Amino acid sequence: MGNSDTSDSDQIVIEADEDLEEIIPGYLLNRRKDIETILEALDKEDFEKIRIAGHSMKGSGAGYGFDAITEIGKSIEEGAINKNVDEIRRKTDELSVYLDKVRVVYAQE
Amino acid sequence: MEILIIDDSKDSILLIETILKKGGYTGTQTAESALEAYKILGINASKNDIKQIDLILLDIVMPEIDGIEAIQKIKSDDFARDIPIIMITAQQDDQSLHRAFNCGAIDYIKKPVNKVELLARVRSVLRLKYETDRRMQLMRELEEANRQLKRLTVIDGLTGISNRRHFDEFLEIEWRRNLRYNKKISLILGDIDYFKFYNDTYGHQAGDNCLKKAASVIEKAAKRVGDLAARYGGEEFALILSDTDSAFAAEIAGEVNKSVASLRIPHSGSKTDDIVTMSLGAATTIPSNGKSPKELIEAADEALYRAKENGRNRVEVIELPRSE
Repeated sequence: MGNSDTSDSDQIVIEADEDLEEIIPGYLLNRRKDIETILEALDKEDFEKIRIAGHSMKGSGAGYGFDAITEIGKSIEEGAINKNVDEIRRKTDELSVYLDKVRVVYAQE
Repeated sequence: MEILIIDDSKDSILLIETILKKGGYTGTQTAESALEAYKILGINASKNDIKQIDLILLDIVMPEIDGIEAIQKIKSDDFARDIPIIMITAQQDDQSLHRAFNCGAIDYIKKPVNKVELLARVRSVLRLKYETDRRMQLMRELEEANRQLKRLTVIDGLTGISNRRHFDEFLEIEWRRNLRYNKKISLILGDIDYFKFYNDTYGHQAGDNCLKKAASVIEKAAKRVGDLAARYGGEEFALILSDTDSAFAAEIAGEVNKSVASLRIPHSGSKTDDIVTMSLGAATTIPSNGKSPKELIEAADEALYRAKENGRNRVEVIELPRSE
């Protein structure tokens, strides 16, 4: 799980377990919603909400096959604890770009 | 087979649920907080219509009530305590892992959740639980069988009161106890009058029913821990009364005699009355080292004999003199 190929600048191909085919699209869609949630929380300086979102991403990303989401989640969680607005913005942007580029192929494990 | 997944992240729950389903474990329940899980497990609430849970997968890091606190709560509940708990934990969390094992978690899996690892651990824990449950069940059955066996050795099959064997043991024990405390012990023997004629008139089935009714009267008279009602022989009953003097024994024998008559069981073959009656003999003594329970039994038997000689349906009393 989680092999990423960044040689093609427009696409990141992730190979995922076909058992997860039903739930991965929903999972990625929810991360888009996370971005909105985080940006809104940032306006209100609700760092606890951001920390929880980051923590949740950290815990789930790699399990779904997206190591990058776990890494981004970890940074967002830490950013929220340190109230580091720039870091949170940077990582949220990174997540947005990642979600634009990621393509999932399903394989039997 | 029901597995309860407790995790504050919907995404994690969905992932674990999906892996379990694909692995053949279709029965899952989910809770996004410890409180929600308590409800499913019937903790702090009614145990009515709660579903049997075979395994709990529990995330350690949760807001409000965390996994450690949840384990403690689950393990202190009489019903939920035996459900095995596998913790789900982030890699760097050795401290809480240690605490969780101390609280009774059986295994753990690390996040990110890996399909092969999750299914392997779930399978082995469920196998263990199945084995444990099976053994517990066998043990319970064995204990129940032993209880039944024990009962059969002391209970009279027909009447349900103590049998002769238990009577002998009990009398021996009470004799020694009353000897130790220098207390009087009484024994009542009672016979259903003309029972042979009852059987001849109404048949053995009716005879058995008559014995059962008489037995329940005798049993009601044995009110204290040192008392015992027993079926002594065919239609003969015995009542051991610890720490009981002659006057009180006579009173109890009188009550039994009245109670049997008040059953008003027709007995046309009786030469005493037209209903079932009982003759009773009561004997009392203070146990001493020179005497044995045998003498008490003989005295009660003698009293019973006198009751029959004097016209049946009555009580006769013998008090043995104190011997040194």
